Amino acid sequence: MKIRNLMMGALLLGAVASAPAYAGPVIDWDPAFVYGPGASTTFAVPGAELKAVGIVSLFDGPLGGLDANDPTTEYTFILKGLTAQPTTTTGPPAFTFYTTNYIGGVIELWAGSPRNSSFAPNPENAIVPSTFQDGTLLLSGVFTSFYTQTNNFTTFKTGNMEGTIIWNGGSLLSLLNGGNGQPCPGLFTGGMTWLPSVLIEGYVFRHDGKIDLNCPVPAQPSTWGKIKSQYRD
Amino acid sequence: MKHVAIALSLAVLGLVAPRPHAASAQTLFVDYFGYDYESPNPDPLQFGEPGSSYHSLGLVPNLFLPLVADTANNQYTYYMTNLNPVNVQNFGSFIIIDYAPGGSFEVWEDAKPGGTPLDFGINPPNGTAPSSFTDGNLFVLGTLDQFQIVLNLASGSGSFEGVFTVTGGSQLGNVPANQRTGWTFAGTTANELHRPSGYDHQVDGQIFLNEPVPARPSSWGAVKARYRQ
Repeated sequence: MKIRNLMMGALLLGAVASAPAYAGPVIDWDPAFVYGPGASTTFAVPGAELKAVGIVSLFDGPLGGLDANDPTTEYTFILKGLTAQPTTTTGPPAFTFYTTNYIGGVIELWAGSPRNSSFAPNPENAIVPSTFQDGTLLLSGVFTSFYTQTNNFTTFKTGNMEGTIIWNGGSLLSLLNGGNGQPCPGLFTGGMTWLPSVLIEGYVFRHDGKIDLNCPVPAQPSTWGKIKSQYRD
Repeated sequence: MKHVAIALSLAVLGLVAPRPHAASAQTLFVDYFGYDYESPNPDPLQFGEPGSSYHSLGLVPNLFLPLVADTANNQYTYYMTNLNPVNVQNFGSFIIIDYAPGGSFEVWEDAKPGGTPLDFGINPPNGTAPSSFTDGNLFVLGTLDQFQIVLNLASGSGSFEGVFTVTGGSQLGNVPANQRTGWTFAGTTANELHRPSGYDHQVDGQIFLNEPVPARPSSWGAVKARYRQ
């Protein structure tokens, strides 16, 4: 009975709740570039590593106090240690989808000065990834899942990649705390293209994406009486 | 006479010029993120079903040259609409949805002080969506053709792409006439927990403009000689 009350209460509250004020992604970029032997538009080499580097273009939510366009500070991130699993395919030869899951992997957000990073061709080199992981480590986390989805039929050679992050370090870690006092999980997501005209030599994907915080939705036990009294106020 | 010859030869070259080489540079035009939904939506359990229409709206945080934007004082929003599915293919958990030509992509400019802040609301269309995304000054208007959505229903994520052509808006004059075509792509996901109710996916995308079509002065003699070879 109590469980049913809880469920009904949640439904009622959900039905009348107004949409929360919109906050953009905590981190947005355009672009990041992906490289490494573990990155492939078709079949990744099992056991090989995928890496990516990017320059942040926007902060919002709990990181909204940071200015991505600060002329003296550059905010960059790096993905590394993502280990490719065997690529699976779906569909006939004319419409083949390639899905590669990755295990392990970390992500780091850095604030460095001066603004010195660039997507120099043919990484790794003197600029990549060193200029994307210099300065102060603001956030670090580990991936609990990560995958890429590509295909052989899209005109502009487009797909996507996505992963979930458990944040565990960095000077701003506490800003990501949710209602339970723990950092909210991150959702790394976005589209990618391997169209040669927007790629840089030596990189496999150009990625346009962002990170959102998937904070658990708070819930608390209640009773019919409390719910009724709430609506009598 | 020489001017006429130059003009005509440019026209001829324009007709026969090959499409820009794949390795040519392309220009990032706008960067956008938001949410998508279907309206009408005859079958809420399906995506891209006959009779549905696709819409996406959200924020445009970054705009690039040749656009002249003032992000300090204005809010820029986008609205994609008039995208009607014409073909759906299923392969395992993947779905490919092709749309009829003639979709539109709009960028709107609204003053931050005194303007209307964007508000997704819930269950669009509603009192604020798309209206709070389509108020102010129509900054860029473009068409979307060959629009295609690819989704993995198992993972909840996917992507879309399409051919983009600038056709209007207050910035039309800033976009060179020989650089008004390009393309867009985006990632989509249904895995963000705080997606407003009634929206199907979160969207994060970009538009590129193709490299300008090259042209150079020539003479009738040079043009004729080219075709005698």
